Amino acid sequence: MMNEKRNGINKGAFLVYLPAIFLFSACAQEQDEDESADDLLEAGWEEVVAEAEGTDVRFHMWGGDEGTNTYIDEWVAPRLAEEYDIYLERVPLDTEEVVQRLYTEKQAGEGAGSTDVFWLNGENFRLAKEEELLWGAFAERLPNVEEYVDMEDPDVAYDFGTAVEGLQVPWGNVQFTLFYNDEHVTDPPATYEELLAWAKENPGRFTYPEPQDFTGNAFVRQLIYELTPDTEEVLTINDPNEAEERYGEEVWSYFQELSPHLWREGETYPSSLAELDQLFANEEVWMTMGYNEGRAEHLVQNETFPQATESQLFEQGSIGNTHYLSIPYNAQNKAGAMAAINFMLSPEAQIAKLDPAMWGESMVLEPASLSAEEQEEVEAIERGDTVPDEKELNETFEPEMDASFVDWVEQHWIDEVVRESS
Amino acid sequence: MKQEAAQHKLLLLALSSCFVIPVLLLFLQSIAGEWRFPHLLPSSFSYYGWESIFQDASLVSALWTTWSLTLTVILLNLLLAFPAAKQLAFSSFRGKEMIETVLFLPIFIPALALAMGLHLTLLRIGLASTFWGVVLIHMLPTLPYTIRIVRAGFERLGSQQESQAQTLGASQVHVFFHITLPQLLPSVRAAIFLVTVISLSQYALTTMIGGGEVVTLALLYFPFAESASTQVMAAFSILFALLPLTFLFLIEGLIRLCLPYRVSKI
Repeated sequence: MMNEKRNGINKGAFLVYLPAIFLFSACAQEQDEDESADDLLEAGWEEVVAEAEGTDVRFHMWGGDEGTNTYIDEWVAPRLAEEYDIYLERVPLDTEEVVQRLYTEKQAGEGAGSTDVFWLNGENFRLAKEEELLWGAFAERLPNVEEYVDMEDPDVAYDFGTAVEGLQVPWGNVQFTLFYNDEHVTDPPATYEELLAWAKENPGRFTYPEPQDFTGNAFVRQLIYELTPDTEEVLTINDPNEAEERYGEEVWSYFQELSPHLWREGETYPSSLAELDQLFANEEVWMTMGYNEGRAEHLVQNETFPQATESQLFEQGSIGNTHYLSIPYNAQNKAGAMAAINFMLSPEAQIAKLDPAMWGESMVLEPASLSAEEQEEVEAIERGDTVPDEKELNETFEPEMDASFVDWVEQHWIDEVVRESS
Repeated sequence: MKQEAAQHKLLLLALSSCFVIPVLLLFLQSIAGEWRFPHLLPSSFSYYGWESIFQDASLVSALWTTWSLTLTVILLNLLLAFPAAKQLAFSSFRGKEMIETVLFLPIFIPALALAMGLHLTLLRIGLASTFWGVVLIHMLPTLPYTIRIVRAGFERLGSQQESQAQTLGASQVHVFFHITLPQLLPSVRAAIFLVTVISLSQYALTTMIGGGEVVTLALLYFPFAESASTQVMAAFSILFALLPLTFLFLIEGLIRLCLPYRVSKI
């Protein structure tokens, strides 16, 4: 379940491509807006559904998790076909590549794109919004959004600091969680301070992915919430230099102190979360982590992770973020896309998504807006022993910081932690 | 003598264990349930990896696309490479170096950078997000190698046999099928294998130009590189590795069927 990584911040490659695109796109022309599509934003919902009937919807999404794929292929697609006569075709593509292709298509004035719906957040959303690759404010047009989603909620309204403005619709949210092996870890650390003490007592049994990795980056960033009591203050910062000035010293001194007690004495770090997972699976280290509280459940079920895997949240704040669905400006089947997204936000689809046998990911709907019956259904779903309680998740939740923090950690970590410690 | 034979056997054993054991481990990994250090063998088995691959609804169509794509790319490669390689091997003319450089350029410039620009062009002429667009873009990293390999074959062969046959009245077609092709087979085999492997592993080019309309096996497989489920990853790797092998067998069969001469082992 590393969808977050793919959807998240990974703009390096995109920036490398940009000059190349400019180089070859000198004579691109802009294309007129598709007028009939704009009418859709005004149309009544029945009209949208009627227009969507009998169409194919091409859903481009990261495909590296069999649980997520199964949920779309075996739960969502058949029901969409049956209830709405819409045929959902899942295509495994990295979000970054989708955004980059849309960009080129925009340069070429291509009106007929091959993506109808895609899955994104963070940096990809920011780029797509800035380059006007998204269709428009369709969120409010969807009845299920109207009924069950609070688009004004700051966790939904801002995607890594970028205002959503109805251009995308939340699909799910995830929270940073530590997973530990209960056989070896009797007293799991609940703060970064306790983690440091634990690492000193158990040298070589903890490590984290280097911050080029999405999860490793979040692990480093999250310390800030323990250092500062003021969440609001963190959220106002959107400049890497300011972040360095404000938190640099404390953050880096913490990780320098931690470094010699890590796996292989901090001389090397796992380059990705998958590598850390391997170490954890082989019981070389006793903890792993993830930007998704539910990710360990099916890995325990298929015996990749030890049976004794348990979860732990950081008391002073565990970062959560929301991921979204959107429609590109040149989608050929916008009505179908709207109907499909609306279905994926229905209580039945969101409740099915919670089931660990499929995806096991959190709902994005307001619990209070659900009917008593639906609420009971949610209660009845056993998310599994490795997933923290809903209450605990809510209590420790802190919003994701501005994307500039990600850059800051990426840029400074090597200098401050790796070079200083060696 | 005897000692030498024994040494030979030992070397063979050492080499084959270098190549065979990792593959066996991969296979074991794909059906392993719980398998932790320090156990030498998995403590339980499961079909989870294979099951989740074959559950993937797009697998069959992706396999089919991959097959037809690779086959088209191979044929087009040979079709274009033969005349080019022959000219480069035998004739000398003004600007030959120029043409040579241009033909090999795609290897020196990152294909991805070229593909960015080509994507725009393909969009304008309506080939982006189509099968043929992807075929074209796969020619980019493959054709230079094919030309180089076939050219080396021609140079080794020389042009004298062909001239002789022509003097004796053989037609061009006759010469090609009875003299040139049978003797160039080793080069053709090498080229086909290389083209297959390169074309199969194109992920970035295929996603960019294919735009999600052309879904090959690489598109299904690559995202799993970051998956924590080693069984799925291992099963996919085996499936992926089997593809070039099936191609090799297919082409070998075709060659045996179509050529007039049975070429003894080379």
